[in-house]
Amino acid sequence: MGVKAKKSNADAVYSKKSGKTSNPFDTAISQTSKRLNPFDVHVNKEKFKILGRICKHDRGLPGVSRAKALKKRAETIGKQYEVKHKTNKFRDHRIGKHLTGEQLTESVMNARYLAEKLSQVRASNKAQKFNLNDDELLTHRGQTLEEIEKYRDERSDDEELEDEGLDAEFTSAAHFGGGADATQDRQTAIEEMISEQKRRKNEIAKDKDEVHDLTEKLDANYKDLLSLVAKATKDEQIAKPPPDDYDKLLKEMIFEPRGSVTDKLIKPEDLAKQEAARLEQLENERLRRMKADDEQPETTVQPHRSADDLDDGYFATGVEDDADDTLAYDLDGNLGTHLNSKKENPKEQSNDKSEDGSDDEGDEEDDDEEEEGSDSDSESEADNLSDLKATDSEPDSDSEEAPQPKKTKSKSQKQKVSETIETSIPYTIKMPKTYEDFTELLAKYTPAQQVIVVERIIKCNHPKLEGVNREDVVKLFGFLLHYIKDMFEDASELDIGSHFKLVSQLMPHLHDLVHLNIDRMSNTLLDVIKEKYAEFRKNHKIYPTLDTLIYFKIVSNLYSTSDFRHPLATPTYIFMQHMLSRARVRTRQDIAMGLFVVTIALEFGSRSKRLLPAIFNFLQGIVHMAIPKRQQERVEIAPPFEQDGPFSKLLAIPVTSDTKALQPQKLQPADLVTQTIDVDFKVRALDSTLCLLKQIFDEQMGEHTGACYLAAPFLPLIEQLPMNLYPEHVQQHCAEAKSTLKSVAEQKMKPLAPPDKKPKALRLLEPRFEMVYDDKRRPKMSKQKEERAKLLHKIKREKKGAIREIRRDTAFVQDLRLKQQIQSDNERREKVKRIYQEASVQQGELNELARAKKRKKF
Amino acid sequence: MKQNSLDNKSGNKQAAELAAKRANVPAALQQKANDFLNSSPVNTKALKQMVNLLENPDSNAVGIMYVLEVIFRNLLKRKLISTAENKKCKGNAQAKPQEPNATCQIQYNKAWSVLLANLGNTSKEEAGGALKVCMQLIAAEAKHSSSNAWPVTRLRSILEALINAEATPTAALAEFAKFTRCLDVLQFTYQLLPGLAPKSFVDTPNLAFNYLAIINVLDLGKTVLNDKQFHIGPESTFDYERTRQLLNKVWSGVIASCNGVDEKVHRQVLVVLLERILPHLKDPILLTDFLMDSLHQFDGPIALLALQGIFTLMQKQNITYPDVYQKLYNMFYPRMFYNKYKARLFYLADIFLTSTHLPENLVAAFAKRLARLALKSPTEDAIIMIRFICNLLLRHTGLQRLICATGAASGAEIVDPYDETELDPVKAGALQSSLWELVLLQKHAVPEVANAAKFINKSLPMVEFDLSSLLEIKECNIFDDEVKKEVKQFTMAYERPTNFALPQYDIVTKYWDIL
Repeated sequence: MGVKAKKSNADAVYSKKSGKTSNPFDTAISQTSKRLNPFDVHVNKEKFKILGRICKHDRGLPGVSRAKALKKRAETIGKQYEVKHKTNKFRDHRIGKHLTGEQLTESVMNARYLAEKLSQVRASNKAQKFNLNDDELLTHRGQTLEEIEKYRDERSDDEELEDEGLDAEFTSAAHFGGGADATQDRQTAIEEMISEQKRRKNEIAKDKDEVHDLTEKLDANYKDLLSLVAKATKDEQIAKPPPDDYDKLLKEMIFEPRGSVTDKLIKPEDLAKQEAARLEQLENERLRRMKADDEQPETTVQPHRSADDLDDGYFATGVEDDADDTLAYDLDGNLGTHLNSKKENPKEQSNDKSEDGSDDEGDEEDDDEEEEGSDSDSESEADNLSDLKATDSEPDSDSEEAPQPKKTKSKSQKQKVSETIETSIPYTIKMPKTYEDFTELLAKYTPAQQVIVVERIIKCNHPKLEGVNREDVVKLFGFLLHYIKDMFEDASELDIGSHFKLVSQLMPHLHDLVHLNIDRMSNTLLDVIKEKYAEFRKNHKIYPTLDTLIYFKIVSNLYSTSDFRHPLATPTYIFMQHMLSRARVRTRQDIAMGLFVVTIALEFGSRSKRLLPAIFNFLQGIVHMAIPKRQQERVEIAPPFEQDGPFSKLLAIPVTSDTKALQPQKLQPADLVTQTIDVDFKVRALDSTLCLLKQIFDEQMGEHTGACYLAAPFLPLIEQLPMNLYPEHVQQHCAEAKSTLKSVAEQKMKPLAPPDKKPKALRLLEPRFEMVYDDKRRPKMSKQKEERAKLLHKIKREKKGAIREIRRDTAFVQDLRLKQQIQSDNERREKVKRIYQEASVQQGELNELARAKKRKKF
Repeated sequence: MKQNSLDNKSGNKQAAELAAKRANVPAALQQKANDFLNSSPVNTKALKQMVNLLENPDSNAVGIMYVLEVIFRNLLKRKLISTAENKKCKGNAQAKPQEPNATCQIQYNKAWSVLLANLGNTSKEEAGGALKVCMQLIAAEAKHSSSNAWPVTRLRSILEALINAEATPTAALAEFAKFTRCLDVLQFTYQLLPGLAPKSFVDTPNLAFNYLAIINVLDLGKTVLNDKQFHIGPESTFDYERTRQLLNKVWSGVIASCNGVDEKVHRQVLVVLLERILPHLKDPILLTDFLMDSLHQFDGPIALLALQGIFTLMQKQNITYPDVYQKLYNMFYPRMFYNKYKARLFYLADIFLTSTHLPENLVAAFAKRLARLALKSPTEDAIIMIRFICNLLLRHTGLQRLICATGAASGAEIVDPYDETELDPVKAGALQSSLWELVLLQKHAVPEVANAAKFINKSLPMVEFDLSSLLEIKECNIFDDEVKKEVKQFTMAYERPTNFALPQYDIVTKYWDIL
């Protein structure tokens, strides 16, 4: 590591060294270069240092800047002054005049162009100064660009460029020919060459012209040809041999859908529409088949179905066996004629089967709906896709289809004869107007079919199909709740099981239904629960009717009951607590209902792990009741259970009874409607209670701090149970429950301490900026005024600057004038001097002459 | 002036009442009554008919009562009927302008007896109406009798009827309570009561109960005394001292005969004592024995009421009762939530534990016990108790170690040292414990309770909670509050149930053979 680093450092140094120029004096500054003379620098002193201000004037070079200014003036005003009273001007046309052709580069041409342009601008008046679209023609070699464009040959000109010179054969012969042609003299050879060249050129020109002519011709005829071309291709297609199986398969594989994008693209409205259309379509097909049924041969055998068959598209009506004895028949009947109907047939048939008794009503309805969609047969092809999709969107039906027993085959064959006159559930069902209509409608069907009826009503009246349906589905939900009430309010031992099954199958549909308009329907359910509570409140010593408990269960199934506060779950919780803590427990029904509520309450809290105290009290009560007590013996227990008397030992089993043979059994629906308590029930109830205890403390409560307080009261009670009287499984459950309770009851807890408080942060002292700066020297002004003042200030400063400049200009000019004056004065003085000199010389000469004359005279 | 305005007021009230009555009375009857009143010689036959109608009411007994009231008032005004008092002094032969009609008199008495029989009626309207008519007739009699004497005999007959009713005449008593706000009625009732006391409370518990119920409506409180309402005329007099003497007399009668009575009557005696008698007794200290016996011999509500009585004595008479806290402590047990007087218990406990000079371990035991009970109690009581615990922690700052243990102890995990079964709160070892129950209560399914229990996580509030407003809350109120919440976000389960069972965490179908 260290070595490597060293090395890399060394490399860097080396490379730096190598990168440097060899001459160390390259970077040295020459003595004569720009270097400030310290005496030239003038430093402006700053009184205060102000942060954030960029100061440009801290040091100045007065000499330099004065020289600059002078120079600038000399170039501008000086020049003007020189030509002040002059009428002629000097013009320079010489941009690049002395340059040769090669040296005339683009930049020079541009400079000329610019100069020309400038002169034009100067010459022209101001109005034309900003005229953008002046029609100035650009030329190239005397031709305007437009003209050049016009005569350009469209054809590519590179062909012309190809070997302008001599061809290789000739040159090789001419240059390195050798002795054979040497005899020919040079003159003839050259002439021959020239003629040859000319001929070749001619040929090429001729060819080119020909090609050009042909092209022109082709272009002209193109339109005529076009139609011919199209025809030809089509013919070709027709002529193609029919694709064989392999080709088909290949094509299929190529075009096989690779993803289900279409699912996402379809809007929910469209889906609902498709669903409704599908149902209608199915209804039509069903009607058609019903008529055609007589003509079909009926002795066909069910084809072999492999064990791996996925049963896609088959539909079973429910879990009951009798509803399943279907299949086969229609699959055969319609197999050849309509492929796409294959999927839905069995579904219908299954419905047909279980509906022997209700022919008449069905017929009537069928007639009604026949008219609705008689002409949608042609759409059967288009329907294929939607069918596939629809089956995908019915996971519930799919899942129910799976257990299709094979044994029903023979049965179904027996029934075939009667099927021809059977009716079935129509695919489109109108929304019943009143509750009476609704019950009437449902009364026609068996419980299993009622579910399908409800499902279809929901589908046919989907709110996305029509706005009116929005109200209808809410109404339907109300009807269903009412129907549940009617079913359970006075259910008997016999039918309670089937009622439970029906509700069980309705659950998914209730779920879907509520999702159509969550607010409205939830409010409906809430109103129902409110009503039930108001009823219960009148006499809270008696358990409410069974339907109330079913509503609880619906709440549990449909809503997220784990919320801390939920508009439906919380009132239900309070209701349950009230019920469990107040209602008297005196009969088998009471006990069963209490246990039912306990289980529902546990479901409510299964995720949130929240506790309802009444549950524990109730379970204590159950265990308490199972303890056999002697006369006058009292075991402490809180109401609604009684400490003594006959009701305190309802579930105690007599010593004589033989319970050992009893099998483990869940609580029965019948318990909810029966009053008398038998030994079976006693064992069952206690067993369930023990299992419940174990589950509660294992899964829900065990982890809470303070769970020991809930578990501890159970222990003395359980101790008192006479376990030897109970069957094996109860004893085992009891032992398990006891061990769980014990472990929870011995829970150790940390003493409570509030979470450590965070240390309070010190107050940070930040400078407080005040937005409003009140400068007293200057009165506050409005924005407009301020702007104006600023501008005025600027003008003032600019004026000052301008005045100063003008003064300096005048000074400069005066200086110039003075210099001129001095110069001219000097010249004049020189001249005068010279003249005087000359004159004096002349005078001298004259005097000389005169003296000489005088002398002569003498 | 004041009298005038009072009169005006009562006049207005009467008018309103009349209107109400009219609405009740069928038109045919009204017509009949009008005809009867308009005929100058009294049509005795018609009167008889109407009284008979009252006797076997097929419909609208209240209407008939009101009609008869109007008729008889009119007759009294015309002096066709002599009042009860007048009859007595008829022998004195005070010449009257018009002799009372004998038949009218008979019918009048008959109507009275029927009305009195109606007092015991279970229907609220009829019993109440009957009592109202009776009192109005009394007023009319007093007004039109020559001597202006109070028709005490009539009142006596009413009281007798009330006492002798088979079932407790709650409706009539409620109506009677309104009239007992008038001081004259109050005084005369007290005057009459000693004579009406049932022979034996033990043998006839029903009569005793009714008798006590009547005493229970006789309110001698300050508001009533200050109101100075009178049933008959402004000239009636009221003397508090005299009434108080009468009250004492009544009470001594009651206490003398209430040896070995059954629980219901005993409870009623205590209620009457606490509510009506105790503040006006001359010598309340004499009650100590009675209250102590009640406290020690009985459980539940009687003991509670007795404790309240003792508390009053401790306050006013300065008696000492060392075991009072232990008694109170042992009154807190799960069954008490199903007790009629649980609000009284909370109220008492709140007062008893107000003192800041109580030993800490005693108060800690109370806090612990309340917390334990909150785990078993109905929702509304849980809230009260959590708030109460919070108040206790505020009053006794030393108790805050129950929710914030000191640093050294907070490390080790322990089993709760508090002994629930210990009868003596001081020995229960609560101070070494912590309020883990409140941590568990934070997991309560009802959000109100869970929120209330969260106080241990935050710094304690500055002021104590006001418990009195909470004491009135019932379980249904919590439900109503929950339902009334404006913002409703119905969150749905994200899993679609395919049948009765939940897709996950299913419990119902695990224990029920439903699918």
